[in-house]
This record gives sequence, structure tokens and C-alpha cells, in this order.
Amino acid sequence: MTAPTTVPTVSGAGAARPARRVLFAVAGLALLCGSVAVAITIGPAAIRVGDVWSVVMAHLGWGTADVSPVRDGIVWELRLPRTLLAAVCGAGLAVCGAVMQSLLRNPLADPFVLGVSSGASTGAVVVVVLGVGGGAVSLSAGAFVGAVLSFGLVLLLSQTLGGSTDRVVLSGVAAMQLFSALTSFVVMTSGDAETTRGVLFWLLGSLGGAGWTDVWICLSVLVLALVVCLGHARTLDAFAFGQDAAAALGVSVARTRIVLLCVTALLTAALVAAAGAIGFVGLVLPHAARALAGPGHARLLPVTALAGAVFLVWVDTLARTVLDPQEVPVGVVTSLIGVPAFVLVLYRTRRTR
Amino acid sequence: MTPDLRVPPQSPDTGAAPPPAGEGLRAERVSRSADGRLVLDGVSLAPAPGSTVGLLGPNGSGKSTLLRLLAGVLAPASGVVTLDGDPLAGLSRRDVARRLAVVEQQADTQVDLTVRDVVRLGRIPHRRAWAPASARDEEAVREALERTGLTGRAGQSWHTLSGGERQRVQIARALAQEPRELLLDEPTNHLDIQHQLDLLHLVTNLSVTTVIALHDLNLAAGYCDELVVLREGRVVARGAPREVLTEELIAEVYRVRATVTHPDGRPHVRFLGTVG
Repeated sequence: MTAPTTVPTVSGAGAARPARRVLFAVAGLALLCGSVAVAITIGPAAIRVGDVWSVVMAHLGWGTADVSPVRDGIVWELRLPRTLLAAVCGAGLAVCGAVMQSLLRNPLADPFVLGVSSGASTGAVVVVVLGVGGGAVSLSAGAFVGAVLSFGLVLLLSQTLGGSTDRVVLSGVAAMQLFSALTSFVVMTSGDAETTRGVLFWLLGSLGGAGWTDVWICLSVLVLALVVCLGHARTLDAFAFGQDAAAALGVSVARTRIVLLCVTALLTAALVAAAGAIGFVGLVLPHAARALAGPGHARLLPVTALAGAVFLVWVDTLARTVLDPQEVPVGVVTSLIGVPAFVLVLYRTRRTR
Repeated sequence: MTPDLRVPPQSPDTGAAPPPAGEGLRAERVSRSADGRLVLDGVSLAPAPGSTVGLLGPNGSGKSTLLRLLAGVLAPASGVVTLDGDPLAGLSRRDVARRLAVVEQQADTQVDLTVRDVVRLGRIPHRRAWAPASARDEEAVREALERTGLTGRAGQSWHTLSGGERQRVQIARALAQEPRELLLDEPTNHLDIQHQLDLLHLVTNLSVTTVIALHDLNLAAGYCDELVVLREGRVVARGAPREVLTEELIAEVYRVRATVTHPDGRPHVRFLGTVG
């Protein structure tokens, strides 16, 4: 789960051997597709991997599915979009975490810990519940404004407080508390019958209501964000020794920060709008991915995305089956896994100082 | 400013022959203030190509600020820093980083990097986004490691290195940038004597123009071709170590009594106590 402290990376591995890289990419994607296919089969209605395959193929226009319409519906309308959204959310949150950790030079940075997810929740809730913008503003736009506001607040707070690792995290905790309280307040006072469930969705995250629209929106934002971040891979490497060192290596620090922080806020907002604030995925997965791929972002970011996707697919499967027929919000499970990891990372940063 | 500064101004243009205008890195009458205080006040600097220029002066005299202006990390409030005659402000950060490398006082990271990873960072300004490392990049990294005697430790983790080794790796990273100018901000702080001498020996034998801020007057005297002494943001003396490092200057600038001898041609400073 954590990066080794002394094991030297295989020398020269970063440079050459494109064949091996392709092999790893293929293996990773195969693992992801396999995970999605298997995860879909798990649940109250017994479905085999072969059924999943034929349903998907039928909907893509190849051949016909010899499964009942009910099963077809379960696979195509319920489990497939949900599992794909889990993969997209996992990948997106993990990439956000990796980029934030490098940019802020903070191993504890993550959209949830820094309050960005909570801000996005508040923004979405204000649009949905209070009807701000009168329908002209979409849920995702509200989430984006909330995400940017909370991120800005955290950066401003941590700058005025001294900018050290702990200050950034403490500012994030303050922002998270503030925006969580605002979200609860808005949802509670709206007096809707569904209020309690609504609060849980926005505060803990759930993939339960996933539909194809959510999948497509989140997937497009994820692809966009991945392209931008991979384009900045070397720039992110340059931040290893701080922003002055990055500037001396030819990086336009201010421009890079604005571009990448906006992209991560946008991605967080899209994911939160679809699935609520799922915590700690962005904190845990980049550390695991670093142990696998090393510190260079050109390899780290794709590996982080794949790891996050596979991780959240399985965590969501666990969340919807462990207390069957009741469903545990997926954010509860990620927090149960994430908090010990948070403590572990905190412990390791204490030692390296 | 104390008006009765008894140090003779040492006509600012003596010392190593300045390069012809429009060549190399030059600062012309640069000023910069921070929090309403003038940190640098009309300082000019034109290191001769290939020479080692030492920046001296007490804490807060403006050494670091001058280095940051030379590196283009800060912009001067007035005056101009030029690289081959072009103002730094008009060049892209990337173009500057291909010419000019910086080694900071103390660099650290929380990322788990190997020595080779760190040295590879020096190739960032030479590489395009998305493009893999070229043979040229690998060659530059290999040469930089060899030059600094780190070839055998390329796979070692940064976090297992001592302070002196870390500075050596930073210098290798700077060399991988293939600069013509190298700027170092008190690189020997936190190092033991052996590593201080090692590092200065390494730096001064490089065929690049070097500007180095130093605290230790004897190290400066031993390794630099030219010294520039700053006090409260102004140049109070410049020239060859022998001309600059006098008992009077040390008393004035550092408020310290000292005797200066010349046992092997270069000045040797022995401190006696603070000025009353």
C-alpha cells in the first residue's frame, strides 16, 4: 500500500523498453475489463460472465442476446453503468489525488481531505435543492463552482497559516467541515421527505443512482483531465524539489498551478455531481501506484488511474453485497480503508523528517 | 545606509575583465525591494565567461535575492538581467533553463527518487511534452553522473544520502541541464569540511561560468576568481580575492576584527572578535 523507502528502482526502466510498457498497459486494461465483467455478475440476480458479454455485444449491435429481458435490463440499465461509473470515479479521484500530492508537495493531499469534494457537494446541493440559477445552471456547474471555491479557500488559508504540510491538511479539514455543515444545513432545511438519504448521498457518496448519462459525462471529463495531466507529466516531475526548483527547470509555475488545479477541481466536481463525495480514494491509490510505477508521472498517472478504477469497482461491489439486501454507501467502505492508510502516510512523513 | 562607509569604493569596474556587452549573463543596475525595504540597490554583475564569482556579505545583504534575479525566478524592480544581450524577462522560462542552472542552499523532497531520477530532472527543459527521453538526454545524464563521481550510486535512493552527497546530486542535475551559467546559493551550508572542499573543488573545475554565494571567507578566497561583496543591497567591493579581502573591509562589512595573511598568495582570514 505504501511506497518502499529504500528499494532502488530498476535503473534505466523509465527510458526505453516500449514493448514492456505496452505489455503492462494491456495487462492493466485486461485486469480492469475483467474486474468490471466479474463485478457485474455479483449480486442477488445470478448472472454469468458469458451473459454479461452477450448483453454488451447485443447492445453494441453484434449478435443477439439469448438472456431474458429482465436480466438484460439488470446488466445494461443497472449494473453496467454503475460498475463503469465506479471505475471512472476511482480513476478520476486517484488521478486528482496524485496531481494534488505532487503539485502541493503534500503526501496527504486528496480531493476529499482538502475539502474539494465537500465544496462540490455543497455547490451541487445548492443548485438541486435551492434551485439557484433557475434551471439554467446544471448540477455539475454548481459542483464545479463549489469545488473551485473550497479549493481556493484551502489554498488561501494554508498560505496565510504558513503553507507547511500540516497547515494545508488542517485547512482542508476546516473547509471539509464547513462545506459538509453547509450541505447538511441546505438539505435539512429544504424540508423534503428524502432529506436524510440526500444528506448521506452527498456526504458519503454512493454509486446507487448511476445512469448512462453520468457515465458519459464523467468519462469525457476524465479523458480530458488525463490528457491535460499527462501533457504536464514532466512538469509535475519538476515539482519534486519545490516550486522554485521547478521554475529553475523552466516551468511556468503560476500557469501550471492554475491549469492543473482547475482541471482537478473540474474532474472532482463532475465525479461528485454523479456520485457524491467518496473519500480517500485519491489519498490511498497514488501511494500504492508509486510503489508499482515509480515516481515519474508519465507512468505514474496511467497506473494510478487504472489502480483507482479497479479498486473502486471492487469496493463498490463489496459495498452493495456485504449487508445484502441493504446497501452500504461506498464512501463508508472507502473511509474504513482510507483512514488507516491516512494514518500510515502521516506516520511515514513524520519519520522522513 | 551609513554615509561614512570607510571602505574605498574600489572602482566597481576593476577586477576580472568584464565580457564584451551582449555576452553571457549580466545584471545591470538591478534593484528589488521586499516589504517596502530595498533589498538590492543598483547592483551590476558581469562574470567573465568560465570564471567563478563569489558573492559575499552578511545575512540579509541581498546575495540570495541577486541570485534569484540572475536565475529569472524573481524580476528586478528596476534594471535588467540579460543573457547574451537579451533581457531574461523576454525569454521563455524553458530557454533560460537550458542555459542556466541553479543549485539551492538545501533541496529536499518527499518523493521517493533515485539519484538517477533526480539527475534526469535536469533534462526537463530539453524535452518536449509526450516525447520519450532521447539518446542525447541519456548521454547527458550519464556524463553528469560521471563528472560528479556518482555513476556507481545512480540507483541509490535520495533519502539515504548524506547532505554532501545530496548537494553533489543537485550539481549533477544542474550539469545535466548542460548550462553555460551555474548559480549556487550557499551550497556548502550544512556540510562538513571535507564535503565543503569537495564540492567547491568540483564546482570551480567545471567549464561553466559560476556565481556562488558563500559565507566562509577563506573558502571564497581559496576557490573564487572574483569576489563581489554586498552590504545592505549594494556592492561595496569587487575584484580579485587579494584586493577585496582586507582587514578594513571585513571590519566594515561584517563588524568583525580579523587579520589577513597571504601564506600561499591567496588571502587567509583569521577572526579575532567582533568590533566593539
